[in-house]
Amino acid sequence: MSDFTYFAQVLVSGLGTGCIYGLIGIGFCVIYNASGIVNFAQGAFVMLGGMITQVALTRLGLPLPIAAIIAILLVAISGTVLERVVVRPLWDRNATMFVMILATLAAQIVVERATLLAVGDQPRTLPVFTDLPPLKFGGVAVSLQLIWILVTSCLIVAGLAVFFQKTKTGKAMRACAIDREAAALQGIPVKRMLALSFALSAGLGALAGVLITPTQYTAFNVGVPFAISGFIAAIVGGFGKPSGAFLGGLLLGVVQAAAIAGFGSGLKNVAALSMLLIFLFLRPGGIVGASK
Amino acid sequence: MTLPNTTSTERAGLLLRAWPLQLLPWAVSAAIVGYAFIVGGYVATVIAFALVYVVFVTGLNLFMGFANQVSFGQNAFAGLGGYASAILTTTYNWPVLPAMIAGIVLAVVIALIIGYPTLRLKGHYLAMATLAIGLITYEIAVEWQSMTQGYLGISGIPPLGIGSYEIISDRGQLAILSIVALLAVFIAARIKSSRMGRAFLALGASENAALALGINVSRTKLIAFLTAAAFAALAGALFVHVVGYVSPEVFGLHMVILGFTMLYVGGIGSIAGPLIGALLISLLPEVLRGFKDYQDLFYGTALILLLIYAPRGLAAFFERRERTGSAS
Amino acid sequence: MITRLSINNLTKRFGGLVAVGEVSFDVPVDGVTAVIGPNGAGKTTLFSLISGFLPPTEGTIRFEDDNIVGLTPDKLAARGLVRTFQLVQLFPEMSVLDNVKVGQHLHTSSGLLAAVLRPRATRAEEAQVEAKARELLDLARLSHLADRPAKILSYGQQRLLELVRALAAQPRLILLDEPAAGLDANESKHLAAMIRQIAASGVTVLLIEHDMSLVMSVADRVIVLDFGRKIAEGTPAEVRAHPAVLEAYLGGVEIADV
Ligand SMILES: Nc1ncnc2c1ncn2[C@@H]1O[C@H](COP(=O)(O)OP(=O)(O)OP(=O)(O)O)[C@@H](O)[C@H]1O
Ligand SMILES: [Mg+2]
Repeated sequence: MSDFTYFAQVLVSGLGTGCIYGLIGIGFCVIYNASGIVNFAQGAFVMLGGMITQVALTRLGLPLPIAAIIAILLVAISGTVLERVVVRPLWDRNATMFVMILATLAAQIVVERATLLAVGDQPRTLPVFTDLPPLKFGGVAVSLQLIWILVTSCLIVAGLAVFFQKTKTGKAMRACAIDREAAALQGIPVKRMLALSFALSAGLGALAGVLITPTQYTAFNVGVPFAISGFIAAIVGGFGKPSGAFLGGLLLGVVQAAAIAGFGSGLKNVAALSMLLIFLFLRPGGIVGASK
Repeated sequence: MTLPNTTSTERAGLLLRAWPLQLLPWAVSAAIVGYAFIVGGYVATVIAFALVYVVFVTGLNLFMGFANQVSFGQNAFAGLGGYASAILTTTYNWPVLPAMIAGIVLAVVIALIIGYPTLRLKGHYLAMATLAIGLITYEIAVEWQSMTQGYLGISGIPPLGIGSYEIISDRGQLAILSIVALLAVFIAARIKSSRMGRAFLALGASENAALALGINVSRTKLIAFLTAAAFAALAGALFVHVVGYVSPEVFGLHMVILGFTMLYVGGIGSIAGPLIGALLISLLPEVLRGFKDYQDLFYGTALILLLIYAPRGLAAFFERRERTGSAS
Repeated sequence: MITRLSINNLTKRFGGLVAVGEVSFDVPVDGVTAVIGPNGAGKTTLFSLISGFLPPTEGTIRFEDDNIVGLTPDKLAARGLVRTFQLVQLFPEMSVLDNVKVGQHLHTSSGLLAAVLRPRATRAEEAQVEAKARELLDLARLSHLADRPAKILSYGQQRLLELVRALAAQPRLILLDEPAAGLDANESKHLAAMIRQIAASGVTVLLIEHDMSLVMSVADRVIVLDFGRKIAEGTPAEVRAHPAVLEAYLGGVEIADV
């Protein structure tokens, strides 16, 4: 394989995981915009998405599309449960940002451990959505799962853009992002927007989990690394901007793929975490935002 | 402007009511450790872990309870201290005490290097950066197999001791750990009522006011961070020599959640809080023996409930604090 | 007349808004200088520029012959320039006494090791800090509340505490941002006496105040800002009669009241 095709191959696989990180990053932004909260339990949604689909598929014998839809709905509901049970009481008490982060991080651990007890620590995977040989572009192989990921994420990003620009609910959520108090004065139900943002963000996370699991695997503890990657995507894109987060995700995916190609897969997480620190230290406003 | 002063009888009454309550956490802690000492065996081991965590949580409390900063990555420094001491004593045959000291020094040096850029961050950026530092340390412990032996971990780490004298018995370990834990708490108490301690508390309450009074806020934060890192590294080093074994899981995210649960049970910002919090939280899962797998589930749930319903922890009962309101 | 603070052509823009525009004035060492002006005139911004909390867009600030633009607030405090805040910034959970002790941070030196080992020098320093803090609390008539947390003080008491806490830093120039806001008539009188006493002890006082009776009773000089510009400067009597000032204050209603 020539250097060029090798490089292109790395790039392509990086774009796939990058889309996933982007979706998770958007999940961060959606909640952050509606509430100013950074939800450290975001990774739990990703893990649950893949895990519930897998369980529905193997134990209940449901067809994959049905299993996936059920999983995404269940995770969206669990997002509102998280909002209701953990976030809302703290929110009502005006708890500090730190307490909110700690509580959602604790929720992440609780979900993780409950999953461990329920299904054990074996890594699980899903079948690819379309079991056909990869497409070839020159020497570069593009698997159909990758195409699923790319197409679905682009559709989601476009759909979200329409949702935020055109629908009443989407506009209301944006109003909350700009000024929550003013939004409340205009009669926007701010708390319902908070619940909705958790549902939406959880659903996005679950979808990301369903899409990525066939190419990797899922286990009770994959959530935190995914959450961190999504957070990086959000930061790189200038926190709070969904489209920025998506681009940030793509960038992270590519950088990480390059790091794996260069140093081996063991350093995959170290590469992502280092990128996070570099960004935080040098450009906390993201690529698009002004540096602080 | 003339305000009714608290009368002397009132004050005496307050004291009478406040004293036994303030002593309560110390008495309970002494009773728990004393009981473990008498019973020995398994209980002594459990309490030995708890005492190690007292050191860790006391450091966390300095940085978070006093200076009101955020760190989800203190496990990184525990890991550094623990691994350094483990590797030096096993691979390089160092004696235990110098190895532990080297581990602490290493952790403080690393904390100094990463503390400078990290502490300039605020809010969720600071939270995520510190979390990342903890996770990077974990990944390195897994990946740097020639040093750490990866997931397998390092076993055969010598027990605590000085020179050729090794403390092997449960009770001996418990005694030495009690002293170290008490010393850690004592140091925290002294710091709290000192010039530096007041500076920690001041910047924790209002960075602007602290700055306006001439406190070099970034430097003071760094000092608090380094102190907390030293406590964490000491705890990590104690841990590996008490258990005799170390693996990456020991210093994983589990340690962070456990530490926070202890801190919030005892009462963040209080002196006795880390002590009583660590002891009680270590005992509870033992009371529910046979539920080992449920431990983290339990800690996480407890932490969420505490944050929602009892954010001041037990300190709400044993520390006298006044409600906001006019004095007149 | 020796100058403590000399401001030259100072400008601060927030985007398109000129919060402070080309302001120049000198503050002599002796006495009390007041800065007045309608809401949003740029008074607090001016203080933030002088005390290093905000970087100026243009202009220079000289404190005792040194250009201090670019120095951080803690460095300025170490040089003897200390401010208070319009919205009181106490350490609410700390005791009243400890609040004042923090004020002495600059003039003490013990570090962490001394905190733990408490050698004789540290104990002596701590005793001195304590005595000085109690003395200042006496001045503010807050001694009886020394051991209570600062958050239980009434609003007026909190203002006084913030003032003596700033004094504990032993400034040569003190900037007071609306020290009388929220004080009742009695407390106001006490505050005015304290301010005169501070000025008499050789500390230069620069204060922002809305309470005109206080300004008239304590200030030796008045600087008037409006929309970020200096529109008048002089003795209280001069300023009071200045047409631009009367204009700025809605036809002089507020000033005429005095
Ligand atoms: N950080 C900031 N960013 C943008 N605009 C600001 C900022 N701080 C102040 N301003 C604006 O600058 C102007 C001057 O504000 P400043 O607080 O200095 O006024 P002031 O004279 O102290 O008013 P007051 O009497 O109400 O305290 C106001 O229009 C204010 O809205
Ligand atoms: Mg003002």
